[in-house]
Amino acid sequence: MKYAFYPGCVSRGGCPELYPSAVKVAEKLAIELEELKSVGCTGAGVLPQNISDPINARTFAKAEQLGLPIMTICSTCTGVMAQANYRLKEDPNYREKVNKEFLADEGLEYKGTTEVKHLLWVLFEDYGIERLQPLIQRPLKGLKVSPFYGCYLRRPPEAITPTKELNRRKAYLDELIGILGADMADISGKGKCCGFPILSANEENSLAMVAKHTGESKEKGADFMVTPCPLCHLNLDGNQPRAEKQTGQEIDLPILHLPQFVGLALGFKPDEMSLKRHIVSTSEVESKVNILS
Amino acid sequence: MQEFDVLVIGGGAAGLRAAIAAKNAGANVGLISKIHPLRTNSAIAQGGLNAPLAKDDSPENFAEDTLLAGDHLCDVDVVRTFTQQAAQEIYWLERSGVPFNRDKDGRLDQRRFGSNRCARSCYADDRTGFIVLQVLHEQFQRAQIPSFEEWYVTSLIVEEGTGNGAIALSLKGGKLEVFSARSVILATGGFTRLYLPSTASFGTTGDGQALAYGAGAKLMDMELVQFHPTVFPKKQGLLITEAVLAEGAMLVDQKGAPILDPKGMPRHQICLAIQGAMQNGSGAVSLDLKPIGKEKLRAYFPQTQELLRTVAGLDATKDLVPVGPAAHRPMGGIETNGSGETSLAGFFAVGECACNGLNGAGRLAGNTLSEAVVFGKVVGEAAARRAALGGKMTPPAAKLADEEKRLAAVTAGGSANDTLAKLHGELGSAMNEHVGLLRSEKGLQQALERIENLKARYAKLRVKNPSMVYNYELISYLELGSMLTLAKVVASAALARTETRGAHRRSDFAQRNDKEWTSHSLVSLRSGSSQLEKKPVANG
Amino acid sequence: MQVTFKVYRKDPEKDGKTGRSNYSLELPEDATVMDGLLQIRDEMDSTLAFRGCCGRGYCGECMVRVNGSSRLTCTAKVPDYIKRGPEISLDPLRNVPVIKDLVFDWDAFMWNKVKAVKPWLEPADSPEGGATLRTDSEMKDLRKVMSCYYCGMCDEGCTVLPVDFDFLGPAALTKAYRLAFDPRNQDSRQQVKIVEKPKGIWDCVHCYEADEHCPRGIEPTKRIVALRDKAFNLGISHQAVARHHASFAASVKGSGWLDEGRLAIESEGLTNIKGLMKLLPTATKALARGKAPIPYMHSKRPEAEKIQKIFEKAEQEEK
Repeated sequence: MKYAFYPGCVSRGGCPELYPSAVKVAEKLAIELEELKSVGCTGAGVLPQNISDPINARTFAKAEQLGLPIMTICSTCTGVMAQANYRLKEDPNYREKVNKEFLADEGLEYKGTTEVKHLLWVLFEDYGIERLQPLIQRPLKGLKVSPFYGCYLRRPPEAITPTKELNRRKAYLDELIGILGADMADISGKGKCCGFPILSANEENSLAMVAKHTGESKEKGADFMVTPCPLCHLNLDGNQPRAEKQTGQEIDLPILHLPQFVGLALGFKPDEMSLKRHIVSTSEVESKVNILS
Repeated sequence: MQEFDVLVIGGGAAGLRAAIAAKNAGANVGLISKIHPLRTNSAIAQGGLNAPLAKDDSPENFAEDTLLAGDHLCDVDVVRTFTQQAAQEIYWLERSGVPFNRDKDGRLDQRRFGSNRCARSCYADDRTGFIVLQVLHEQFQRAQIPSFEEWYVTSLIVEEGTGNGAIALSLKGGKLEVFSARSVILATGGFTRLYLPSTASFGTTGDGQALAYGAGAKLMDMELVQFHPTVFPKKQGLLITEAVLAEGAMLVDQKGAPILDPKGMPRHQICLAIQGAMQNGSGAVSLDLKPIGKEKLRAYFPQTQELLRTVAGLDATKDLVPVGPAAHRPMGGIETNGSGETSLAGFFAVGECACNGLNGAGRLAGNTLSEAVVFGKVVGEAAARRAALGGKMTPPAAKLADEEKRLAAVTAGGSANDTLAKLHGELGSAMNEHVGLLRSEKGLQQALERIENLKARYAKLRVKNPSMVYNYELISYLELGSMLTLAKVVASAALARTETRGAHRRSDFAQRNDKEWTSHSLVSLRSGSSQLEKKPVANG
Repeated sequence: MQVTFKVYRKDPEKDGKTGRSNYSLELPEDATVMDGLLQIRDEMDSTLAFRGCCGRGYCGECMVRVNGSSRLTCTAKVPDYIKRGPEISLDPLRNVPVIKDLVFDWDAFMWNKVKAVKPWLEPADSPEGGATLRTDSEMKDLRKVMSCYYCGMCDEGCTVLPVDFDFLGPAALTKAYRLAFDPRNQDSRQQVKIVEKPKGIWDCVHCYEADEHCPRGIEPTKRIVALRDKAFNLGISHQAVARHHASFAASVKGSGWLDEGRLAIESEGLTNIKGLMKLLPTATKALARGKAPIPYMHSKRPEAEKIQKIFEKAEQEEK
């Protein structure tokens, strides 16, 4: 399997532990990645559509040239691109307009055939769980894990779950936890927002959301939370101390990226997954994992 | 105690419009509604509102069509006022924000409805009532009128023969309060729930009419009840707007063959035709919406499609929809003149609870919403004028104490054999069977007997729930009381009118009797017993 | 068919005591949950408080949670539920103050918030001039938005309301949209000015829960996003958000991708010492763990100039 790899901005910026762990895991799984280097940021829902749609159309066109589907490792990248892709595919006139006005100069054209998938979806839809299972060298037995999808990976329905079968996308992370041998500490907020988008507008609410979700996870006895979105990670991990301070609670819940989670089950050592980079200490998780070896 | 110049009771289209008009005329207005305005029965009106806007239309033509549908029982002056003012009201609604459908030139689009001779009904998809209601509520909020929502009026206050306000129960707070006002406008809606099935919301129980009647006001033309031909009869009754017939839907029998060509037919004729077809062995009658076409169905009838799916489990693009006539709205109500004044000084009435002579023996399709806004304005202004004349009286404190005692007595003891729903169910069937589309002396006598029996059983019932907070049992009890009172009035008036006219069909008097019956019927209470009079129609 | 309703109870006259009552019912095959509730109130327990109004899916009043999911009781068919088991739980909506049993405070939950956006038009002309001329496509979108029957499902699914009940919420903000985008509104800026205050559009996390919950496809989230865009275009915008957006755009325009260090600083504001100090603890930790991208020392992506061109072209078109 080969994909045009779109790592996004944060996986090499604020969450530099994500990029190398994702690349290592892909290699272990024999998923070939050809990185799209000369493409722009998706806009992350911040840039207005009249600018981000052309930027994303350009990214899609480049992947189309390679004849490869796009794989992402960030819920926000996935969601923003899926929405843009939906608009460009739904309305051929719109796509033509964007092509003519923005891509034609470079000799690019988006024909509307590119698929965008998060690594999580790739595992279930393209790779196949039966293929993953024999590669699990270290089932994470006894570990309790809370899923946190990141809302961009779940909505809006027309871009993310356009058919009845694809509704399953809302359960992939839940299922993956069991497949990797761990138990799930289910939380009511797993599909909700982590608060990251409103950090500037309303820091209090943003941190309250962090406290709510991580607090609930801790109450349910989780050892850590796993998320496929580095922006969620920035808030849930990076801002966890500030959230603790604001609400006066002690949380201390480590947050893992999806590839780190998969990587540990595949047999990688915690250090190889750059766990020490996190703000909230992962040392307890590391000890538990090391015992499992 | 709350004090206002004008108190409006009822938060539907007519009530909101009256409140806005009274406020704009300078009065201090308060509004009471037993449910939130956006949940009132106006919200479920679908089809359209009439106005003579087209080049080839005129207020005179409009008036003629109204008079014809009313089968010579309309008061001409009132019809004239209405047809002349309708256009202005539509324009006011449009500029206040109603997103009416437009034609290709950007003008208000109009549909042809029922027996209107031309396309005269402005509409907003098939949610016209709801959208107009929303805009009325917006403007109502703009007028900053104090609104007492989920308050139930338990009695009207009459001092020395003059209206002086009302007493209402707050569902949330569980307490009674006096609302003193120089002018009281009743805009409480119809009494369609007398009949089961019917097209109205649960609360359409004629409380205003019953209260007014009990206070001595006259009720007019109560025997005239309009049935709607295309109602899916299961459960509560799901009304399918007649506009579907204008767009090509067919009424078919069990074999799929059309039973009539409904274009241009007045409602009561379609109803009778359907009922006839059902009785003479054609079996169930259904609406075939397929001829409208998928595109048009989605574009023009989104709500119809949605509700058919969620309520009836039917797909309008594939399935036949079984339909039958069901009670829809009364023509009769509290007697008023053209300014909404009732026979009780200080009390006004407007909208479906009132009868001002506009609708006669049959309402022209598309007139109800227009009536609500045209007369809402007229009556609101009239009520404000009266209030400006001054002379307020403060109701004595004893009134409140008495009312508290009365309600407390209702929650003590009681028989266990009957329930409110049981009595209501029996009432609903009796009315449907004997005081429905086709009446006869024998049937009406039976109805009156059954009503007496139900009233006796009701008298033995008590409310078991002692709370006053959100006590829906108490509210249902009081509503059933209103319905039983009105049922007797409707049946007696129907018995008295020995002719067939408009929506009132007698199998034993199958002709219209202009000589004796070009008159409204008036029922009122005198010394505890009801009396019936006739009032000649004002032919102008 | 036999079914047991397990209904949430709360008694405001007994200090808000809560509990659950179980009722075993025999219902006809086509019964709805509302039919069941009405039967309970009529025959078994007349103290049970619940709302019901049109009984046929029109008015939005009877919302409760049936087995945890919010819906109208009058269209909730009992046979659909007992397929999965003979018991049906009924609870009030989430994010909502409950008054008594299933009766919750619609005012606090929604009506007061709708009122807060000044939900009315200032009509531009007097009606003597007849109706204004409008295309049907303009009116069609308004009709769509006004098909909202205030069922509250969007507010119930909202991610922000559980942490901040004072947030206006998708229902009220959609109403603001209806007014801000009605061409007949003399002063459409008014609504934008109201909703761009705290607890308004900037507090929305645009998680699309509202769009997913809305039973009529009104897309409240998209309407809120449209209000934000309108606010930006009118030059009315939350200062911190404006800084954030400007910094983000500058970063991507200049280098093709995001410089987070720069973003963090510029969102607070270069002269906002207090705000910048707030970031210090996290920044220090992040630096120590090699997690902090050094601001302004950000490399350009290959072909970054192409991304810049897209910005320039789009900005030109806007003019």
